[in-house]
Amino acid sequence: MMMLEYQGKQLLRSAGVNVPDGIVVPRNGRAVEKIADRVEHYPVAVKAQVASGSRGKRGGVLRTETPQAMVACARQLFDTVFGEERPRALLIEPWLAIERELYLSVTVDGRADGYAVIYAPKGGIDIEDGPPPVRYGVGAAQRFRAHELRHALAGAESDYQLREKVVALAQRLVRAAAAHDCTTIEINPLAVLAGGELVAADAKVVRDEWAAFRNEQIRAAREEAKRRAGKLLRGCLDMQHMYVRLDGDIGLISGGAGMTMAAMDMIAEFGGRPACFLDCSPGPTSTRGYRPAFALLDADPQVKVILVSVFGGGTQMQRVANSMKEIMRERKSAKPVVFRLDGTNVDQVPAILGGFGARNHDRLEDAVAEAVRLAKGAR
Amino acid sequence: MSILLDRGNRVLIQGITGHMGTFFVEDARRYGTQVVAGVSPGREGAEVGGVPVFGSVRAARETTGADTAIVFVPPAAVLGAALEAIEGGCRLVVATADELPVQDAIELRAAARAHSAAFVGPNTPGIISPGKAKLGFMPSFCYGRGPVGVISRSGSLSYECCKRLTLAGIGQSTVIGIGGDPVKGTTAAEALALFHDDPETEALLYLGEIGGSDEDEVAWYAARAEAKPVAALIVGRTAPPGKKMGHAAALIGSRADGHAAKVTLLSDAGVAVAATLTEVIPAMRAALARRPAPAAAYATAPQRS
Repeated sequence: MMMLEYQGKQLLRSAGVNVPDGIVVPRNGRAVEKIADRVEHYPVAVKAQVASGSRGKRGGVLRTETPQAMVACARQLFDTVFGEERPRALLIEPWLAIERELYLSVTVDGRADGYAVIYAPKGGIDIEDGPPPVRYGVGAAQRFRAHELRHALAGAESDYQLREKVVALAQRLVRAAAAHDCTTIEINPLAVLAGGELVAADAKVVRDEWAAFRNEQIRAAREEAKRRAGKLLRGCLDMQHMYVRLDGDIGLISGGAGMTMAAMDMIAEFGGRPACFLDCSPGPTSTRGYRPAFALLDADPQVKVILVSVFGGGTQMQRVANSMKEIMRERKSAKPVVFRLDGTNVDQVPAILGGFGARNHDRLEDAVAEAVRLAKGAR
Repeated sequence: MSILLDRGNRVLIQGITGHMGTFFVEDARRYGTQVVAGVSPGREGAEVGGVPVFGSVRAARETTGADTAIVFVPPAAVLGAALEAIEGGCRLVVATADELPVQDAIELRAAARAHSAAFVGPNTPGIISPGKAKLGFMPSFCYGRGPVGVISRSGSLSYECCKRLTLAGIGQSTVIGIGGDPVKGTTAAEALALFHDDPETEALLYLGEIGGSDEDEVAWYAARAEAKPVAALIVGRTAPPGKKMGHAAALIGSRADGHAAKVTLLSDAGVAVAATLTEVIPAMRAALARRPAPAAAYATAPQRS
C-alpha cells in the first residue's frame, strides 16, 4: 500500500535520509488560514498529498512566493480531484535550488531474490521514458555490498564524490526497506544541491500490507483505507476480499487471482465487459464471507448480471453452494446470477443449486456466454 | 519420474492440528502420499487420523524419518515453521500461505539455498505428482498421470487447466504451483530446469499472468535449441495497469509487465501461447506435436533398399 509523500519522508528521515523541512497541513478548513504563520521563507512548494501517480503532471505541486498566494494555492489544491481522490493533506516545503536531478530506488525484485537498487543519472521523469537505468540485484538486505553497487555505477556516474553519496544512501534505503517492510522506496527526483548535498525531493514508499501484524503504521494505514472505502466495500475488505472496480456490467464473484483474471479475459473474449475483479478466496467460504460481495454488486447500478465463478481446491464447493443457497433466499435484488462452481466436492453442487432453481454450468465458457447474453439483454 | 515429489517422500505436516492440517491428512493419504508425522508445539503425544504429533521438526524426523514438510500455519508463524523445517534437514518444504510478508519470503529463499533444500511457495496450493503423491490442497480429481510438466503462478487456474488436460487425455508428470508472490521459493526458471532433467516430462505448460518477470525466464528457456516444447497461457489481458490483481506480483508496473508484451516475448521464443483458456488444449497439443520422435522411431527409420 502506497504511503503519502509526507509519511514516506518521515520514514526516510528516521532512516538518516535528508528530506526538506516540511509542514504538513491536514484537510481541515481552519488549518489553511494558520499555515502562513508557520512559514518563514519563500518561495515554497505546496504539494497535494495523494496516493495516485503523476501528481506533477496534473498540477498537484504549486510554487508560491507570498503568504496570500500560498493560502490561495492550498485552497485550490484541497478542492482538486486527483484520479479519484481529493488531497488528504498538503505538504509545504521550501523550494529547493536544485543543481541536478537523479533517480534512486530500492524495490522488491524476484530476479534478485529480494531487493534491487535502481539508479539513473537523470531523474525527475518517468524512469521508463529514459535510457535503461543501472540495476544492482541485492537479494536479502544484508547481502548489500557497497563495492558491488560502486562497480555497477561506474559506467553511469563519473562524479566519484556523488557516486559515494549514492552508494551510502542506497545502503540506508535497503536497510530501511527490510526493517520497515517496504516493497518500494523510490526517490525521484533525488536532488543534488549546490553544495553537493543529496535531498529526497519526493518520496514514493510502498509498504507490504501483509506485514500489518508486526507493524503499527501498516495496520493503521489498512484501517484508514477501510474507513475511507464506504460501507459496502468495507464489508468486502473486512472479509479479506480483493476488489478492483472496472468499467463493465458483469459483476464477477470469483476465487483465486488467476482464475478471476481468466474469467475477466473470457468475458471480454465473448463480447462482454467485466465490472470488477473480485477475488473472495482469502475470506471465509461461509454465507458471512460471500454476503458482502453480493451486497456490493447488487447496490452497484453499473452491474447488470452477477457471475459466480469459483474453482476450489482448499475451498470445499458444497459449502460454497450452500452459502449461495442461503444468500439467494435472503437477497432482495432481481439481478440475474449465473453459477459456475467446480473443484473439491463439486459432485454435491448441482443438487444444492437445483434446490433453489439454479443450475451449475460445467464449463466456464457456458457460464460466461450466459452472463454476456443476460447483460446484453439488460442494456 | 517426476520432480521434487513422488511416492518416496516421507511427509510431516506443520500445523497438523489446524483446520487445513486435519483435512490434508486424509486427503493426501487417500492420494497415496506417505504422511508420517505432524508437528504442533505443545500437542506432542497426540494423534491426528492415526498420525503421531511431535513438538518439533527434529523430534518428528528422528522418530519417523520424515524428509519433506508442508506448512499449514498462520502467516505470522510461517517464517518460524518453514525455517525449522529447512534448517532441520527437510529436502522439500512447501508453504501454502498467502499473505506472507515478502521480507519473510526473502529470508526463506536464502535459507533454502544455504541448506540445499527445495522450497515451494508462498501463496500456492502446493505440488502434485499425479498418480504418486500430493503435497497441497489441490482437488485430486483434476489430475492424471502423463508427460506434461505444469508450472503455475495461480492455484485456481492450474486446477482449471489441469482438469481440461486430464479430460482431453493429456496427463501430467508433476504440477508445481510456484505462487503469486514476487519472491518465490522455487522460480519458474528453477522449475523449468527440474522438468528439463526429468525423463518422464516431455513437454511443459506454463500458466502465467501480468506483472513480474517469470515469463522472461520461460521465454529464455523455450528459445534454447535443446528445450522441451512449451505451451503457455497468460491471464490478465483485461487487467488495468497500476492495480494489484489479488496476487502481490500481478501488477502492471512497467511496459514489460503487460499482457501483450509477455505474449509477444513468449511467442517469439517459440512457445505455443494460448490466446484464452479455451485455447489451452489446442496449444498443448501443438507443443506435444513438436516432441522429438521417440528413440524407437530412429531404429526403424529410413532403410535403404
